[in-house]
Amino acid sequence: MTRRRWTMFALVLLVPALAVGAQRFSRTAPGEHPNPNAEYDGRFTFIRVKFTPLNTGWDLKWDHDYPVAETHLLKIMEEVSTVRSHLPETSIYGFSDAELFKYPVAYVSEPGFWTMNEAELAGIRAYVNKGGFIIFDDFSSRHWINFEDKWRRAFPNLALVKLDITHPIFDAFYRIKTLDMTHPYFGLTSEFWGAYEDNDPSKRLVMIANYNNDIGDYMEWSDSNLLPVPLTNEAYKLAVNYVVYALTH
Amino acid sequence: MNGAPVAPSEVPHPPVDALAEFLFKYRPAAFARGALGADPVVPVLLVVALASAVAGLGLWALARQASHEAPRIRGTLGGLRVAAIALLAWCLCRPVLVVAESVAQRNVVAVLVDDSRSMRIADVGGQTRAQAALRLAGGADSALLRALGDRYQVRVYRTSAPGRVTEPAALPFDGARTRLLGAVTRVEDELAGAPLAGVVVLTDGADNGARDAGASGMTEQLSTLRARGVPVYPVGLGSARFAKDIEVAQLEVPRAALRNATVLVDVLVSHRGFGGATLPVIAEDGGRIVAQGTVTLAREGEAASVRLRVPVTEAGARVLRVRVPPQPGELVTENNERRVLITVRDRKEKVLFVDGEPRPEIKFARRAVSGDQQLQLVTLLRSAKDKYLRLGVDDSLELVNGFPTTRAQLFAYRAIVLGSIEANFFTADQLRMLADFVSERGGGLLALGGRASFGEGGWAGTPLADVLPVELGVMARGDSLHAVEIKAGLTPAGLRHPALQVMPTDSTVAERWRTLPPLTTVNALPRAKSGATVLLEGTLGDRTVRPLLAMQRYGKGRVLALGAQDDWLWQMHAEMAVEDSTHERLWRQMLRWLVSEVPDRAELAPIGEAARGEAVSLRALVRDSVFLGRNGASVSATVTAPGGKAQEVAFDWAVDRDGEYAASFVPDSDGVHEVRVRAVSGRDTTLAASAYVLVADPTDEYFGAERRDALLAQLANETGGHGYDADHATDVARDLVYSPSGATQVRRLDLWDMPVVFVVLTMLLGGEWWLRRRRGLA
Repeated sequence: MTRRRWTMFALVLLVPALAVGAQRFSRTAPGEHPNPNAEYDGRFTFIRVKFTPLNTGWDLKWDHDYPVAETHLLKIMEEVSTVRSHLPETSIYGFSDAELFKYPVAYVSEPGFWTMNEAELAGIRAYVNKGGFIIFDDFSSRHWINFEDKWRRAFPNLALVKLDITHPIFDAFYRIKTLDMTHPYFGLTSEFWGAYEDNDPSKRLVMIANYNNDIGDYMEWSDSNLLPVPLTNEAYKLAVNYVVYALTH
Repeated sequence: MNGAPVAPSEVPHPPVDALAEFLFKYRPAAFARGALGADPVVPVLLVVALASAVAGLGLWALARQASHEAPRIRGTLGGLRVAAIALLAWCLCRPVLVVAESVAQRNVVAVLVDDSRSMRIADVGGQTRAQAALRLAGGADSALLRALGDRYQVRVYRTSAPGRVTEPAALPFDGARTRLLGAVTRVEDELAGAPLAGVVVLTDGADNGARDAGASGMTEQLSTLRARGVPVYPVGLGSARFAKDIEVAQLEVPRAALRNATVLVDVLVSHRGFGGATLPVIAEDGGRIVAQGTVTLAREGEAASVRLRVPVTEAGARVLRVRVPPQPGELVTENNERRVLITVRDRKEKVLFVDGEPRPEIKFARRAVSGDQQLQLVTLLRSAKDKYLRLGVDDSLELVNGFPTTRAQLFAYRAIVLGSIEANFFTADQLRMLADFVSERGGGLLALGGRASFGEGGWAGTPLADVLPVELGVMARGDSLHAVEIKAGLTPAGLRHPALQVMPTDSTVAERWRTLPPLTTVNALPRAKSGATVLLEGTLGDRTVRPLLAMQRYGKGRVLALGAQDDWLWQMHAEMAVEDSTHERLWRQMLRWLVSEVPDRAELAPIGEAARGEAVSLRALVRDSVFLGRNGASVSATVTAPGGKAQEVAFDWAVDRDGEYAASFVPDSDGVHEVRVRAVSGRDTTLAASAYVLVADPTDEYFGAERRDALLAQLANETGGHGYDADHATDVARDLVYSPSGATQVRRLDLWDMPVVFVVLTMLLGGEWWLRRRRGLA
C-alpha cells in the first residue's frame, strides 16, 4: 500500500469519527437536558430508558442518538404503517418510574454500561412480567458481559436465546430476508438475542437485543450519507418490526 | 280439621254464604244463575192502584195527624209508611226466581281427587291432605259422596291418570306432578255425552303441569274449561300458609357454559317463620361441594337471594344441586333443594379481532385470552394500507384477503371484536354483514374505544350504529382527539354481570372495580341507548358520567361496547400488582359471555329435566352457512341412556317454522341422557350437535306446596263454579242443584216469603211506630 493510499484510508476512517464526535461533543450529553416528555394520550410513544451508566464519567450512554434516532423512526413509521405515533415528542423514563408502565415498549441504548438500583430492578421485573417489551441496542463485543450480568440479575430464570430469521418478529411488518448485518462502525457481525416469556418459545419475546449492532445510529444518521443506505434500511425495518411485534404480541 | 284462614277475596266465605241463605231462603248460587220474574195472583196494575190509594190515604192521615211536626219528621214517617206499603205490594205481585235446576238422578257429578305427592303433606289438623280428601270421597259412605249421591250419579277420578277410580281409598297419592287443569279437561272429555252437572275437585291447588314441554298455558286451559260451560267446584285442602318452611324458590343459572368458567348461580330462598335467620347455602356437583354461601333471610314473606360462584372444570353434563340444610320445625324439607343441569362445552370458540392500527390493546387482549383453552382469538390487523397482519389463524388462507367478504366466511366466527378502525374501511355490504352477524346469526360483538372507533370513526349512520348499545357522538377526528381520563364505577347491573366477576365474592368484586386506576377515552359516548344496560359507568375529570361498558341484546346476538382506548392499563399500570388478573379475567369473561349463547348451525333446543316414562319433546334447529333455516334436511338423533343403552330417534320437519325439526322419546331410566343429533343437509353437509336431558324423579310437587287459593278461586270463577274449604265441602251438593250444565228443568222459586222480606217489613213498620211514639203521635 502506498503512502497516498494509507492517507486516503485514514481519512475514510477519520471523517465519520470526527462527524460523530462533533455531533456528540457539540451537545454534551443530550440526556442532561432532554426535551419535555410527551403527555400520555394512548398513541405509540417512543420511550428511551435512562439509567446510571457504569463508570463513564460525563457520557450518559443511554442517551446516545437521542432524540434524532427516535424522531426519525416515528416519522418513518407514520409513513409506512398505521401505527399512530406521538410525534414529535418522545419520552425518557427509568425502570422505576411509574409513568413508564403506560408504555409497553421501551428502548435501552448502550446496555454495556447499564446499571440498576433496587427500585429499577423491581421496576424492570414488573414491567416485563406485566407485558412490557424491551429493545436493547447499541452494544458490542465485551459489552455483552455487563448486559448479560444485569439481565440475569433481573431475570435469573429467563434464558437468553439467539434468534434466527424464522422468528415472527422478523415478519411482523416487513418480511426481513436476512439477518446478515454488521455494526455501523466496527464491522462486527450482528446477532439478535431474545428471551421468551416463561422460557417458552411458543410465547412472546419479552425483549430483543441487537448485539454487535446499533440500529439507533443507523436511524440517527439516515438523513446523511454517513452510513450505507441498505443497512440503514434494514435498521428501520428491524425497528418497525420490533414495534409492531411488541404491540401485537 | 282445616283451621287455616281463607282470604275472602279468593274463596267465598262459608259463614257469609250461610247467612245469605238464611235471609234469602236460597243458596247464593241460585241468585247468581237465576233471573227475577213475577207470578201475580191479581193483575199487577190493580195491585199498583190499590197500593197507591192506600199510600195516598196513609200520607193524608199522617199529614193531618202530624201537621205540627217539622217537615223532616213528616218526611221520614211518610217514607217509612210508603216503603212498607210498596214492599207489601211487591209481595202481592208474587215475585219469583226463575232458575234452571238439575234433574234429580239424571245427572252425573265427577269428583276429581288430586293424588299427587304434595297431598301427603300432613297439614290438615295433623292429618295429611290425602286423608282429608279420602274422608270426603274415600268411599260411598264418605261425607261428600253421600251428599252428592242423593241427587247425582257420582264418579270419582284422579289427577295423575285417566279412567275412573273404583276404590278411592286405595289411591297411593304418588303422582309426580299435578296437572290440575289438564285433569279437569280430561275428566270432562271422558264424560263427554253424559249429562255432567259439574266437577268437584279435591286438591291443594298446585298445578305444575304447564312446565311440561308442549303443554299449553294455564290461561289457555282455563279458557277451554270456561268455553265448555261445566262448572268446577274446587275444595281446597291443606294449609294456605306453613308455620315454618325453607324453600329454594329459584335458581338462575346459565344452561350452558364453557369449560373452566365460573358459573354464577343466583339462589332465591323463600321462607316462613325464619325471618332474620342466617342459613348456609350449599352447591354440590356429583356429591362434591363446589360452592358455599350464606343467606340472611328477610322478614316474613320476603325472599332473599345469594350468589354462588361455581367453577365448572369438567366437560359434559353437570347436575348442580343447591340446597339449604333442613331446619327444625319444617313440615316440608323436599323443597330445600333444587337441581339444575348445566352443559359444559369443551371446544374452541373462534373470535375475530379486527383492528385498524397496531396498538397495545391487541397485544394485551391476545395475552389475556392466550391461556384460555376455550377461546381462539383470530386477529386481523391492518398494519398499513392494504397490508394485514394475521394472528391466530387456522391456516394460511384464512383472512388472506382481509376482512371477510361473504356471510359464510364471517358467520363462521362466533364473536367479533371491533377495534379502532374507521367505518369506511368496510364496504356497504360488509357493514350490513356486521350488523346481520349480530342480529341474524346471533353472534357476539365487542366494540372497543379508539381514535377510529364509534362516532370518531364515522360509525354513526351505519347499520352498526343501531347494533351498538351506546349513542354515538363525535369529539374530533384522528390525531386531534384529546384523551381524557375516565374512572370506572361498577353499576348494580355490572355487579351481577358474569363478565365483571373478577374476584371471588360480591364485596371483593365491588372493591376491585372501585380501586382500579383510571383509563383514558377519546370517544364521545354521551349515553347508553334506552334498551341497553350500563355495566360500568365512567366518570371524567369534570365529574361528567358516561357509559364506559354497556351491553344490549340486538336481534339474536349480544353486544358490548367498551368506551376506553386502553383497558390494558388494568394490566400494565404501575398501581396494578404483577399477579393481578383483573384484565385477563375481564377479557376472557367478556368474550365467554359474548359467545355463550351463540347458535350453531345445528342445535337442539334446551330440554332440561324430564321424568321417567314421560315423553321428552326434542326440537332440532338446522341452518345453512348463512344461518337461514334449512328445510328438507334428514335429521336423526341417538339418545344414549346412562347405562349405555342407545335408541335412534327420527325427526320430522315442523312445517310452521323453517329449519325446525321435532321428535320425541320416552326415557325408561333415570340419569343424564345424551342426545346426539345429526343433520344431513344437501349432498355432503353433515352437521352434528348434542344436548343432555336429566331424567329424574320430579320434585315440583314440593315447591309452592301451600294451598293455592288463588288458582282455585280462578278456576271456580272462570267456570261458574264455587270454591270451598274442607269443612264446608258438602255444601257443594246444594250449589250443584243450580248448575246450568247437564239435564236441567226450569223452576220458579217464590221470593215473597223470604225471611229478609219480613225482616225489612218489620223494620219499616217498627221504625215508623217507634218514631211516632217518640214524637207523641201514637
